[in-house]
Amino acid sequence: MKEFDGKTCRLIDADIHEKVTYADLLPYLGQPWKRYIADANWVQEKHMPYTQPAVAGVNRADAMLPDGRDAGSDLPFMREQLLDACGHDIGILTGALDPSPSSMHGWYEMAATLATAYNDWQIEHWLEKEERLYGSIHIAAQDPKTAVEEIERIGGHPKMLQVLLPIDDIAWGDPMYHPIYEAAEKHDLVIGMHHNEPPVQFGKWPRYFIEWHALIPTSHMIQVTNMILNGVFEKYPKLKVMMIEGGFTYVPFLMKKLDQQYKDLRHEVPWVTKMPSETIKNHFCFTTQPLEEMTKREWNNLVEQMGTDDIIVFSTDYPHWDYDSPEQALPNGLSEEVRHKIMVENALRFYPKLKRRDM
Amino acid sequence: MEEKVCTMQDLGPGDMIERTFSGKSIIICRSDQGIYAFLNRCPHQGALLSKGKIGGSPAATKNPGEYCFQREGEILRCPWHGREFDITDGGNTLTPDRSKLKEFMIKIEGEDVIVSTERKKSKAAQA
Repeated sequence: MKEFDGKTCRLIDADIHEKVTYADLLPYLGQPWKRYIADANWVQEKHMPYTQPAVAGVNRADAMLPDGRDAGSDLPFMREQLLDACGHDIGILTGALDPSPSSMHGWYEMAATLATAYNDWQIEHWLEKEERLYGSIHIAAQDPKTAVEEIERIGGHPKMLQVLLPIDDIAWGDPMYHPIYEAAEKHDLVIGMHHNEPPVQFGKWPRYFIEWHALIPTSHMIQVTNMILNGVFEKYPKLKVMMIEGGFTYVPFLMKKLDQQYKDLRHEVPWVTKMPSETIKNHFCFTTQPLEEMTKREWNNLVEQMGTDDIIVFSTDYPHWDYDSPEQALPNGLSEEVRHKIMVENALRFYPKLKRRDM
Repeated sequence: MEEKVCTMQDLGPGDMIERTFSGKSIIICRSDQGIYAFLNRCPHQGALLSKGKIGGSPAATKNPGEYCFQREGEILRCPWHGREFDITDGGNTLTPDRSKLKEFMIKIEGEDVIVSTERKKSKAAQA
């Protein structure tokens, strides 16, 4: 496995969306699954009732391929526009099957099959072709038995860093999902959580996209809270969770609120033995994007309230419309030391499979 | 410094073209009212504005749910986050915040479009 020098490494990006269609997955599907898709010309279920977020819908307008293919669907283009242009050392793929297999509300057998096909496709077309790219394991988490089987099948792949769970209308801390965490911990895999459709507004879409997008952090807060209060981290003390694309500015509030509630209501959750804020510091990281514009002073205030900046990890969300530029997104005036922690050190320390040469 | 960057025939109302001026990438935008030149860089995170789109935008209204689309060909949207800049008003955003595009002085001589290093202070040259 490649080792990384924490001093010379310049950029780790924890959220890059490669685009896949069901048609791409057909070569990785057996029967009857292949014919169910091909015969019916089945395409991804898309539920979002908005087209207006940005100039090119949910993607950067300049990320669409010149031949009209979807943003994020072509590795050479991604290399040129993102990996080479920004100087990535590591990029972590977080997928865009839309919906995630774990978000399919029925036909779990098909969901599990699609997840397996997606993993095989991701390895062959991205991870094996681009040294800088690392992957996320897709599972059908609503069926924990097959989910664990898939983690066992693919979890030992050296470039698979995490198991991806969507944030939508399932709270993943419930004990029925704990076998997934046992399998992840066993294979040195992080749990990556990324919102899917539609996690806010009681599982429905709000009237306006701006409402949905502004309130995404609330859905992340639900998952962090649920995982902690279901005792996941007392049960799996090595487990780590990366919260992807919710930003980090909600974390100070959540730490304070959970600690206060825990002092009063510990008796309801006696399996929780640590202060929630400590569990957050020891088991979670939060990606920066979409980062609010802020001053260095505002950044420092947030970090002071959290008591650490070890849990902030940079991400771009390429090729989506709310992309954050590695050069422009962080506040002006942060020291090189702090920038390096956010851009490199924190991720390198967090993902067990990213080996440091200088440790 | 002054430099011819294009001719009036190179772009019609609602169009935008990219040119180099004094070593910098700039965009020339044309509306029904005039022609304008801006630095090809969004003040938010540096996206190339030439990859964005010029169109219109719903007017501010007192009535929730009401869309009055107007000003076609006058509003430039960034290709990344979609921020709206009014090309006819010095590149100001349509929100109350203070960010705006960097604008260059422009003048028309015959069919030639000439840009200068001076920042624009008056109304756009009339097309």
